Amino acid sequence: MATISIYSWFQSVYNYLLSLFWSTELDVTLLGLQNAGKTSLLKVFIGEEFSPDSIPTVGFAMKRVKHGHVTLKCWDLGGQPRFRSMWERYCRGVNCVVFVLDSADASTFETAKTELNALLSKEALVGIPLLVLGNKNDLPASIGTEEIINILQLEQYKDRDISVLSISVKEGKGLPGVLSWLISRKNSNK
Amino acid sequence: MSALTYKKNDDIESGSLDKMTVFQDCMSGFNASPIMPKKCRLLLSKLAHLLSSGETFPADEATALFFSVTKLFQHKDPSLRQMVYVVIKELAPIANDVIMVTSSIMKDVQGSNELIYKPNAIRALCRIIDGSIVQGIERLMKTAIVDKNPSISSAALVSSYQLLPIAKDTVRRWANETQECVVAQKSFPPGALLGNYHIGVSTLSQYHALGLLYQIRAHDRMALMKMVQQLSGPSTSLKSSNAIIMLIRFISRIISDDQNLRAPLYVLLENWLRHKSDMVNLEAAKIILNIKGISEEEATPAVNVLQQFLSSPRTVYRFAAIRAFSKFAMVQPVLISHCNIEIENLLSDTNRSIATYAITTLLQTGNETSVDRLLTQINGFMNDISDDFKIIIIEAVRSLALKFPTKHVAMLKFLADCLRDEGGIKVKTTIVESIFDMIKYVPDSKDEALGHLCEFIEDCEFTDITVRVLHMLGVEGPATSEPTMYIRYIYNRVVLENAVIRASAVSALAKFALTDDKEVRDSVVVLLRRCLEDVTDEVRDRAAVYLKVIGLDKQVAESYINPGKDYSLPVLEQELAQYVSGDREQFSTPFDMSTIPQITEEQAKANDFKIKSKANHEPEAAKADIAKEQMERALKEELTQQTYASTLASIAQFTDYGKILNSSKIVQLSESETEFVVSAVKHLFKDHLVIQYDINNTLKDTILEDVSVISIPDNEDIVEEFIIPIDTLSVESAGTVYVSFVRPTGEYPVTGFENNLKFTLKEIDPSSGEPEEDGFEDEYQIESLSLSASDYMIPTYAGSFVHQWDELRFDETFSIRIDAADLQEACTYLIETLNMMPLESSDVPVSTSQNTLKLFGKTVDGVKTVVQIRMIYSASNGVAIKIHTRAQEEAASALVIETFTN
Ligand SMILES: Nc1nc2c(ncn2[C@@H]2O[C@H](COP(=O)(O)OP(=O)(O)OP(=O)(O)O)[C@@H](O)[C@H]2O)c(=O)[nH]1
Ligand SMILES: [Mg+2]
Repeated sequence: MATISIYSWFQSVYNYLLSLFWSTELDVTLLGLQNAGKTSLLKVFIGEEFSPDSIPTVGFAMKRVKHGHVTLKCWDLGGQPRFRSMWERYCRGVNCVVFVLDSADASTFETAKTELNALLSKEALVGIPLLVLGNKNDLPASIGTEEIINILQLEQYKDRDISVLSISVKEGKGLPGVLSWLISRKNSNK
Repeated sequence: MSALTYKKNDDIESGSLDKMTVFQDCMSGFNASPIMPKKCRLLLSKLAHLLSSGETFPADEATALFFSVTKLFQHKDPSLRQMVYVVIKELAPIANDVIMVTSSIMKDVQGSNELIYKPNAIRALCRIIDGSIVQGIERLMKTAIVDKNPSISSAALVSSYQLLPIAKDTVRRWANETQECVVAQKSFPPGALLGNYHIGVSTLSQYHALGLLYQIRAHDRMALMKMVQQLSGPSTSLKSSNAIIMLIRFISRIISDDQNLRAPLYVLLENWLRHKSDMVNLEAAKIILNIKGISEEEATPAVNVLQQFLSSPRTVYRFAAIRAFSKFAMVQPVLISHCNIEIENLLSDTNRSIATYAITTLLQTGNETSVDRLLTQINGFMNDISDDFKIIIIEAVRSLALKFPTKHVAMLKFLADCLRDEGGIKVKTTIVESIFDMIKYVPDSKDEALGHLCEFIEDCEFTDITVRVLHMLGVEGPATSEPTMYIRYIYNRVVLENAVIRASAVSALAKFALTDDKEVRDSVVVLLRRCLEDVTDEVRDRAAVYLKVIGLDKQVAESYINPGKDYSLPVLEQELAQYVSGDREQFSTPFDMSTIPQITEEQAKANDFKIKSKANHEPEAAKADIAKEQMERALKEELTQQTYASTLASIAQFTDYGKILNSSKIVQLSESETEFVVSAVKHLFKDHLVIQYDINNTLKDTILEDVSVISIPDNEDIVEEFIIPIDTLSVESAGTVYVSFVRPTGEYPVTGFENNLKFTLKEIDPSSGEPEEDGFEDEYQIESLSLSASDYMIPTYAGSFVHQWDELRFDETFSIRIDAADLQEACTYLIETLNMMPLESSDVPVSTSQNTLKLFGKTVDGVKTVVQIRMIYSASNGVAIKIHTRAQEEAASALVIETFTN
């Protein structure tokens, strides 16, 4: 039931946005450690139901979220260590990069910090807006945005366009904010 | 089509694409936004064209290309996606990290576009995946294999085949699904349109499934047999002709691996001769004729089927049938001779390949009388066929020339005509080698053959061939009636040709100087002197060396210029390799040439002939193997002979016996798992026979002392002289006892030997480990040994059997019945028993009821002997033979007869 209501909410957002923008395509790259919830997030975006058993992404998968004249081309990358070296290739020239963190699994924080910082130091990322999502805030162990900024050491990038949101794909919390953030970056890079 | 697009296509076809331009266009085109599907598809085609025509990219560029191609997954256009898959498959082996597209491809595999996305995605998936994630796609592959859409099922089956090298165990688990597919009938989804064709039922996936199933079961003979039985039964649902043909080929493999399964499997093959598909009939017939040692009865139905195809209106059928025949003709020419009328019709076939095979078949099946006519017929189209087919025909004529030496005039004329015609180096080499063969083995053709060769090198564009011909002229020319003629031809080369040819001409000239004719010798010297002025060192040096050598004593000169024997090259090579691989110290002593055995020209010729005439009777593929095997065996024999010689020479008692004339094969005189294992080798010397008994004591707790062999001949002409015993034969060790006999000079007594091993036995005391003081004497009977023609004879080649026959006297005849299943077996037995060389291919019976075997050999003392054996086979009486022999000396004729009477 919950997903249906989210879906109809999207619909209204799109209709609203359509009145502001004409036909447009956005390139979005989703990355983050394995099991963070990237693939799940995209599924919900294209209107599928959230399911707790999701298969790890091997390499990447392209998903297209299309409504009327707005299309989000989402590059969903695998988070397992063997794929991380390839992240950069899919960040070049995109409109924005989304980094998803499992905010309820403290054991992944240290690695997440290292990987994200390594990525941000790459030339390809310069000037591309970054959205950090602290996913799974439905779980009691999850941490808030302040803590995420701390843990990932994001203060050092004061002059870059970086935002942090706390969401739950499972319960649909915070998703509209994600979408409006993405669409608002439409003219940022290209 | 506009002029512009036409030009682009033209570019692709002509292969004039620039690699760097294509690379850059691809990088920018694929990364552009939005994607232009048509343009990208064209770029992908160019890339695919480059890759498939052999271009390759360094790993980093290939990887960059690969990743930009993966960006195209964002566009859904099916024709673009189709090309994306093609290029992914091409780039997969050269780019890094191709595993990245796995999830994207999986999406297509699971998707709903059945026609383009799914099958293509499956094929690409198996190229980019690595062993670690094959398990991850297992369920998906199993589902795809049993998919009812044949193109999806086939894609999955073929791809599984590709996965075998990296994930054999996983793929083996798909056996049930594959099995299900072998018998399933699939049809394309309604409305599926491929090009302009509507496709309904398809059985091709049966073919793909069978191929995979075989791979899965190949290691398990029982499972394979079960599979074959299931699929070949009367109620089989195997409908695809391709699949049945594959099954037939599997059967052929099983038969050649295990002759025991031949009988039941033959029945299946025979049934397929009546299958409704022509393809299946052809394949079954071909495979039946290919079975090793196929009998007349078994082959006949297949021959009949092929006979019908010979007059088929369809070219491929005629081609397939005659090709199978031309192969089979080498094995059993008699069986197809009754198809000669149909085969003759094919001589005028507009398809020249068919005509070529028809000719080679007829050459095999024909008899002496048809040869001339056939040769004229071939001449008619020799110019219309490709070099490869020319070679096939020339090879056939070459073996025919050895088979029918009396036909040499016609054969030689044919070969000479071919030599004058156009042809590449391979064709010319084959012709020249055929002529060489005739010179060697058909002496009557020699003068004329040499004449043709002389004419040929006057205008030959191939240095290699000219050099070989010059060598041949040097070897054969001096002994002819008109040596000066050859000298002129050879010297012409010195004047007109390049340095390599000039040098070999000088060597050839020098050989003429060995003649007794002073005039000839003087003119050779004059010519060689002129060569001292040559511009090239090699030519000058050779001339100088030969001039010096010619001036020496004649015998010495001969030993340099024409030694008449050659070192055994395989042994020389082996010894040299060993010498060079040694350390520094090794090089302080020079390489010892005297350890290398030498082979006389006559021996070399006999070996060569054996290999040649053997190879002609075996199917194509086996030829090379046989030649190699024989080479290896010859090398091994040479090495053992050499060890015998050096061992015996080191024993004081034998030093004045002279050279070993012949050593027999090793004969086992006891079972291999008895207490004492004994084997023997017989060595013949001019006046002596030495039997070498090798004894192996296999006991762990007993030693033997004073070991000797009491060997009693049953023929008084052979008299024992002395025994060299073994003093002590300790536990689990081997030693040799020699027994020496006098053999009457120039005679060949046939005899048996009773053999008894005699020794003193001492047990080992387990506490001290020492043998006990007292032993006891014991005897131990071992098997007896015989001495007969096979020991006294040495197979020798002769150019003309009739010539030898007419020349020799001391006629003897004898008739006997021998125990053999057919004439072929009888021939093999007789050749082995007499140890003589079969001539004129008489060891391959052309009829199943009668044959005349012609044998030639020399005794160990060099006495020429010929044997002619008529044999008749009848089912009721077996093989009856009549032996007729002649020899230079009476003792040799007697030997042949006694070998059978004793
Ligand atoms: N409780 C909870 N679980 C979630 C949420 N989002 C995702 N998950 C679960 O997290 C697991 C991993 O989700 P995926 O979307 O496959 O993770 P991923 O980031 O794509 O992983 P890789 O493809 O390996 O990089 C799944 O079992 C999801 O059900 C959430 O908001 N709350
Ligand atoms: Mg994922």
